[in-house]
Amino acid sequence: MSKQIEQIDPRGPRFGAAIINIFSIIIFFFALDKATEAIAVSLLSIVWVSFLWGTLLGNSKHPFGVFYKKVVRPKLAAPKELEDSRPPRFAQLVGLFVTSLGFVLLALNVPFGIAIAAGALFGASTLQAYFGYCLGCQMYLGLRRLGVIRG
Amino acid sequence: MPLETRIALVVAVILAVLALGLFWKLRTGRSKRVTNGQQIDLAKLGAVKNGKPVLAFGERMTFLQFSTEFCSQCVQTARVYKELEQHSDGILHIEVDITNRLDVAKEFNILQTPTTLVLDAAGRVTSRIGGATKAQTIKDETGHFTI
Repeated sequence: MSKQIEQIDPRGPRFGAAIINIFSIIIFFFALDKATEAIAVSLLSIVWVSFLWGTLLGNSKHPFGVFYKKVVRPKLAAPKELEDSRPPRFAQLVGLFVTSLGFVLLALNVPFGIAIAAGALFGASTLQAYFGYCLGCQMYLGLRRLGVIRG
Repeated sequence: MPLETRIALVVAVILAVLALGLFWKLRTGRSKRVTNGQQIDLAKLGAVKNGKPVLAFGERMTFLQFSTEFCSQCVQTARVYKELEQHSDGILHIEVDITNRLDVAKEFNILQTPTTLVLDAAGRVTSRIGGATKAQTIKDETGHFTI
């Protein structure tokens, strides 16, 4: 019954979050003005694909995850603990949801819809990358308690 | 939107998020006193340690840690408590996996893991620690009980 659950280096998702973090604040800036909104939309599309990839294949098969494993991790000490791969993967789904929401708001002509989504992404990715607080992971237990998701 | 406004907004968002992060960092892993704490029922909790059911509380105090499978900070926190347990007398660490025990999560109102309850010798809750326990918190808690 118990399927082998993939264990990953917790610093991998944080590395990915740091990249998303830089992207999201740039998108936020471009989304604030009509003249540059198109750039924001195309950058957000890239981020959307990134989250879709992470959601479907998991963090370790994501380009950021592969880059972390091949290039960054060999330069670091071994991780003290590994973590379950499910919460960070779930966090990717949360990211996908927030990014999609930006496009929906844009389609509905909500002013600064893209900026709102990018701002939310910036907040969540800052907390994960620099403070080690994984919002999506934290939501996991709460949402399970509410019965929204199942283990 | 004028460039100045855009730059101001970017700076405001960055500062707000940093403030939020620092606020969380300061609060997490610290203990909160519980007055009239509830009595823990070990049998009902079904606490297991090294494959055997836990029948008694620590002589001085017990750290009851609630964890989930998908939680790296839980592993880290458990390691800290295990070390504490080995190097001090009368302190017991119990870890309960609540991944599939949502009833327990509900009973103790657990929204995040790890959440640790500090129990006195009789098994009553005296404080509660949300998040990965800070070293200073352990010092405060154990110091409190030696008096």
